Amino acid sequence: MALPPGLSEVTFADGIAEMRSIVGNEWVFDQPADLNTYRDFYSVLWGEPEEKHASAAIAPANVEEVQAVVRTANERSIPLYPISTGRNLGYGGAAPVLSGSVVLDLKRMNKVLDVNESNCSCLVEPGVSYFDMYRHLRESGSKLWLDVPDPGWGSMVGNALDSGGGYTVGGYRGHWEAVCGIEAVMADGELFRTGMGALPGSETWQQYRMGIGPCLDGLFRQSTLGVVTKMGFYLFPEPEAALSTSVEVFRFEDIEELIEIMNELEYGNVFNGMPGVSSPVLSQENPIAMSIVPEPDVMNRMVAETGHAAWRASFNFYGPEKVIRAQWEHVQERYAHFPGVKFTESSFVKLPLSPEDLERVQKPRFGIPSLDIFSVGSRGYGNFNPSDGHIWFSAVIPRSGKGIIDANRVMRRECERLGLDLFMFVPSVTCWTRSFVLFAAVPVYKDPERNRHLRDAVKEVIGICASHGWGEYRCPPAFMDDVMDAYSFNDNKLRRVNEQIKDALDPNGILSAGRYGVWPQHLREGREA
Amino acid sequence: MITRRDLIKWTAVAPALATGSQAAFARAPQGLDALLLDERFSPEPAADYARIPVMRFAGDVTGVWYDHLDRRWRDPGYVLGGITGSDALFVLETLANHHGRRVVSRTALAEPNIDGVRPVSWVIAPHHPSVTA
Ligand SMILES: Cc1cc2nc3c(=O)[nH]c(=O)nc-3n(C[C@H](O)[C@H](O)[C@H](O)COP(=O)(O)OP(=O)(O)OC[C@H]3O[C@@H](n4cnc5c(N)ncnc54)[C@H](O)[C@@H]3O)c2cc1C
Repeated sequence: MALPPGLSEVTFADGIAEMRSIVGNEWVFDQPADLNTYRDFYSVLWGEPEEKHASAAIAPANVEEVQAVVRTANERSIPLYPISTGRNLGYGGAAPVLSGSVVLDLKRMNKVLDVNESNCSCLVEPGVSYFDMYRHLRESGSKLWLDVPDPGWGSMVGNALDSGGGYTVGGYRGHWEAVCGIEAVMADGELFRTGMGALPGSETWQQYRMGIGPCLDGLFRQSTLGVVTKMGFYLFPEPEAALSTSVEVFRFEDIEELIEIMNELEYGNVFNGMPGVSSPVLSQENPIAMSIVPEPDVMNRMVAETGHAAWRASFNFYGPEKVIRAQWEHVQERYAHFPGVKFTESSFVKLPLSPEDLERVQKPRFGIPSLDIFSVGSRGYGNFNPSDGHIWFSAVIPRSGKGIIDANRVMRRECERLGLDLFMFVPSVTCWTRSFVLFAAVPVYKDPERNRHLRDAVKEVIGICASHGWGEYRCPPAFMDDVMDAYSFNDNKLRRVNEQIKDALDPNGILSAGRYGVWPQHLREGREA
Repeated sequence: MITRRDLIKWTAVAPALATGSQAAFARAPQGLDALLLDERFSPEPAADYARIPVMRFAGDVTGVWYDHLDRRWRDPGYVLGGITGSDALFVLETLANHHGRRVVSRTALAEPNIDGVRPVSWVIAPHHPSVTA
């Protein structure tokens, strides 16, 4: 068992015994077979001495038990690592960032506390999965939609806390953007509520996010400062219909204006669904991995020879049929001047989905949780076998034609130079509005030698991206320090302010140590060099 | 945590699932509460076998999870056998662990891989006191 650093066996055993008395013997996991389930199955450190291991896991049943466990840990400086459902595959799984931490597994706290139909919002506990919420909404006859990430087995809270994303409507699909109201147990065991939750008797906790003074929700995003025990979300009222369309243009040089107009249309609320930008001519070999963008004349020749479009912008609309048809008409008018432009209506469905439509559609586009993503490899769609694993490399890049082309070329060139395989490569993901996020899935191995090479290469790519002004929005634990280092404005003031807040709110450094490069004081020495 | 009764159940089941998928299915997998078959590796239709309900799917476990296992695994008991792709087993095993269950037997089958996915036979059984029958 990996003991927390600097902690004596006696103190640790005493703390675990106390926690046992709080949650009950059966909800303390400290046997190797149990702890194995808290490993990160996609770890780039798999089987190496540096792999992150939990020393134990504790599963409390309610807020009071969480508070008692946190107080016990705080009194003894035992590091805790809270997770909601712990399915953060590609970004760390259920494993702690600091080996030896006790995983605080909140899976038993899985109650949907409130769904407010007229306010279109909900309040949930951390263990509520997307499947749980979907079932709750359907079985209660709700007219509300939730937005889901590709794998529906994660939790609304855990996913939002790591800033995850889905595929439906703007304002909902960036999951952190849809959060309204947080309750957290702080390192001293006290309960804290953000926004209107701080006002006793308020009925607006899930309506008005900010409350008074500095908006403190941000303290809990990708953070080391609290154990989130409740979270409110905005939900989307089920639309009457959904329409998916695309606009194809046939010249390399069309990309800039294609995206400028797309931005104007989205920010002007002409369409509300998730847009996309791809290159049919550069995705002939693999539909989920754009190849390198060649010089303009080469690309235009490829277009002429194959008949494939140079670029495709996809538009999704959710709303009353009349309205979304008029919106699509307007989109077509805005692109009508592009030479050879091709408009396609790829699908129109009335909602709720008929059983036939349900079979045919991509479920997350309709807020329906699914696990289908784990079987795409066997359909020959990329070389994807989930039991081997992968990590996500996800860098924020400018939402422009130049943004896509520059990032594509740099990533493709550097990954080839470094011998880094990518089985999925999409430079223009728009789960989060206002920027693109470049996504690359990098296969992980159960072979230390190959993983060592992978780690070195990814660290180099992080530095190269930073030199272009591109930083990751999220990353696996093995790269958190490097990514935080890249946000280096004013001698890494971002990290230093985070550390000051950490020291003030969690002086014993017990919560989520090391997450996103923020370490408690006693573990910082040596890292600053 | 693993009761004697459970052990007897699983030891009866494990060898039956340890051969190729056709043979595994042909032998009576006594002791299971249900059998899960992945059509990618076991294409012919099958009714319930030896009174054991058979659930079929093709790679994507969403329906099996949402319509059956999500509910079944909330209650104690329920020993599930399967002949599936390793990708589907990965998903099911992760869900099983979360629900106090474990893969208690796992055998790679001799059938050819499909796009790198191996067929595997397995048994998932209750493990945590909250779900052991
Ligand atoms: C094939 C594949 C596809 C994927 N597609 C997507 C996708 O489309 N969108 C997407 O967003 N992700 C995606 N992911 C990544 C990941 O699987 C999901 O984001 C998943 O929802 C995260 O796991 P979780 O919800 O169980 O969160 P958890 O693992 O529970 O939480 C994530 C982290 O947040 C912190 N945390 C969690 N709960 C608490 C709490 N209560 N208090 C304090 N801190 C807490 C912890 O540091 C934890 O490690 C994908 C992964 C794979 C393998």
